Amino acid sequence: MIESPVLAPPDAAVPRGARALRALRANPLLLAGAALVLLIVLAAVLAPLLAPYPGDAGTATHPFAALRPPSAAHPFGTDEVGRDILSRVLYGARVSPLIAVVVLAIACAVGVPLGVAAGFFGGWLDEAIMRVTDVFLAFPPLLLALALAAVLPASLVSVTVAIAASWWPWYARLLRGQAASVAGRPYIEACRALGISRARIVFRHILPNSVTPLLVQVSLDVGGVILTASALSFLGLGAQDPVPDWGLMVAEGQGYFTPDWWLVTFPGLAILLTAFAFNLLGDGLRDMLDPRRSFLP
Amino acid sequence: MRRHRARAAAPGAALALLLAACGGGSYGSGGKAAASAVFTYDTYTQVMVDGWDPATEYSNGIIAMSNMYETLTRYNPVTHQLDPLLATRWSHSPDGLTWTFQLRHGVRFHTGRLMTAQAARAAILRTKRLGGGASYIWGAVKSIDTPGPFTLVFHLSYPSPLALEASADYSAYIYDTRAAGQGSLTKWLNAPHDAGTGPYTLQSWHNGQEFEVVLKAFRGYWGGWSGRHFTKVVFRVVPQDTTAAQLLRAGQVSFVEQMSPSLWASLRGAPGIRLVSAPSWQNLLAQLNTQALSLPVRQAISYATDYPGIIAALKGAAVPSSGIVPAGLFGHFTNLPSYAYDPARAARLLRQAGYGPGRRPLSLTLTYTAGDSNEQVVATLLKSTLARLNVRLSVQPLAWATQWAKGKSASPAARQDIFVEYWWPDYADPYSWFVNLLQTQKQPFFNLSYYSDRTLDSQIARVESLVATNPAAGSALYRTMQVEILRQAPIVFLYNTNYQYAMTTTFSGFQVNPAYPNVVFAYDLRP
Repeated sequence: MIESPVLAPPDAAVPRGARALRALRANPLLLAGAALVLLIVLAAVLAPLLAPYPGDAGTATHPFAALRPPSAAHPFGTDEVGRDILSRVLYGARVSPLIAVVVLAIACAVGVPLGVAAGFFGGWLDEAIMRVTDVFLAFPPLLLALALAAVLPASLVSVTVAIAASWWPWYARLLRGQAASVAGRPYIEACRALGISRARIVFRHILPNSVTPLLVQVSLDVGGVILTASALSFLGLGAQDPVPDWGLMVAEGQGYFTPDWWLVTFPGLAILLTAFAFNLLGDGLRDMLDPRRSFLP
Repeated sequence: MRRHRARAAAPGAALALLLAACGGGSYGSGGKAAASAVFTYDTYTQVMVDGWDPATEYSNGIIAMSNMYETLTRYNPVTHQLDPLLATRWSHSPDGLTWTFQLRHGVRFHTGRLMTAQAARAAILRTKRLGGGASYIWGAVKSIDTPGPFTLVFHLSYPSPLALEASADYSAYIYDTRAAGQGSLTKWLNAPHDAGTGPYTLQSWHNGQEFEVVLKAFRGYWGGWSGRHFTKVVFRVVPQDTTAAQLLRAGQVSFVEQMSPSLWASLRGAPGIRLVSAPSWQNLLAQLNTQALSLPVRQAISYATDYPGIIAALKGAAVPSSGIVPAGLFGHFTNLPSYAYDPARAARLLRQAGYGPGRRPLSLTLTYTAGDSNEQVVATLLKSTLARLNVRLSVQPLAWATQWAKGKSASPAARQDIFVEYWWPDYADPYSWFVNLLQTQKQPFFNLSYYSDRTLDSQIARVESLVATNPAAGSALYRTMQVEILRQAPIVFLYNTNYQYAMTTTFSGFQVNPAYPNVVFAYDLRP
């Protein structure tokens, strides 16, 4: 059995949890990102407890309380049909991040196997897969997602599928490069010489040694996916009312922006904060996992 | 997109009048050069979506065409009488079957040809023959004589208020039918060209672009160009009313047709800006698919609509409806039986139909015009109240062309359950609601509730002649029809629109005329 030479624990005597904490302390970006992400996750999980008017995240409306400015009763104000914006923003934390998770899961599920196959096997398979990815990569992700979402019925499922379809080629391309690099290393040659099956080589050696950059990229992409999903919802191609999607809330509030600023400001800030948090987290992870810039002790 | 009326209902609708100094010229014989300025009509949606033929255009195009074409008469919103326009005077026989119009002398079409009785006759007959738009206004006309070069005599097959009908905002335009020579006039008009007699003529059309239509002064206009007038009219498409408001604040735009009520109110007190609020003859309707929804379900939806909530949420842009006909029009009654918001009664009616709370859910689709925030508010509120009754409403905001095409689909399965749109009269009369929305149509056009009632059809067929000969009986028939329509509930009358205009104080002469919805007669303004 030949083990991978990378990712060897730097100090096996230090418990993993302690090492992680040390890494967090050494990397303020990562710490800030993780804290913000934790805050968002808590908001999503505890939304039913935190939201002052949980029904307002659903079909409830209060037209006689429409367009109330922020107050003690409604800290974020009310929207054009009288719904409490704080409640909707809190419940919105369940929508946009979930879209990001599902999109990235789909993109990984499609992009990783294709990338590894292309990088490891090479030849015509590599050519075929890469040319297909080239076709997808020829379009900016938002434009491609927009085109796909436009022909699908407006819904969260459609927007998820549309974004995932524009996202996987980046992971296929990334994994292909990593897999090709790893596949050419001597220990993989040794595995082959020993007669280890290709499946075992892929799953035990190629994939684990290629996945680190992917983890960083995925964490960096969460913010991008949320922004893309918000953009599509803003354009009316994603979530539909009364789903408390932040992008949709901004879209519906845009006509009221000048006099009733709170309609777009708070959901807009939620989008900003979430994208920022995941970007910080991604940057921190990249720094932590980069052997040249490792903060690991 | 006639009846969706972009901004008219949409609090995002912006009609902007852009004033910009440009080199002035002296037109006509009126002495000092007219002050020149550009008038820009700004809407979030296209102005010309229904073709350039004045005979058949039946959509938002009137906001441009009313400045290019003229009618025999024009409704005066102050006197509630008809003013002379291309006709200087008119009269009718005691039986109402013969109408004589004396035409204005010295009027030229934009083609240069003199407008005579023969030319006007040809235009009216062509409009009638094509049968598009609101050509039904000429339905009573049996024949037209021209005993003199400027005298038109109409012979009617039944009494009809022809002078009023001749003031219509659609299909009443007088135009040069010889404009295309031997070629196809329709093709020539849609090139586009214009062949009207109005103060402005077409300069350019950029389909789908922000500065969509530009009109320039017609130097040969019979009214002359002495005094101060706008010499250019621009119809500008600005999708966001917030943008239109910013343009207004910056002084780049001088007239914004309608915007969200709160945005409109936020302009109150702003320096150099004047706000105008006025009742309209326009109402927002929800046409219920009578082929798909039973009477109890339709009545349940009518009771499930939170009318006071809608009025409250729209903050001054809407007033309650009473029947079909808005206040100020013949046939309006304040004491008609009406639907009030009554969820308990709606639940009982739904149970009669096998739906409602605790029963199987009812799934419905509603379409409205995307971008119209008033319609969006209505759809959201309706979805909310119906959800409490176990009715799942799928709301589909669609571009007007798509929404209308879906409503007119030959396949009943492809149609919506609820179609939300605006409606206004073709002239100062309620007939338009009945003949367009409620009379049986083999191929759906604007009757998008697909309602069909032979008794009502026959009543509609005779109501206008009754109004012409016996107004009291006509009024009674309008009441009878409305009572039955309200009982049958093919349409939910959501509210009547209140116009909310914003404009700069750099011009005067603006007057709201509900007979010509959202039309600004730029020639009448004084920069």
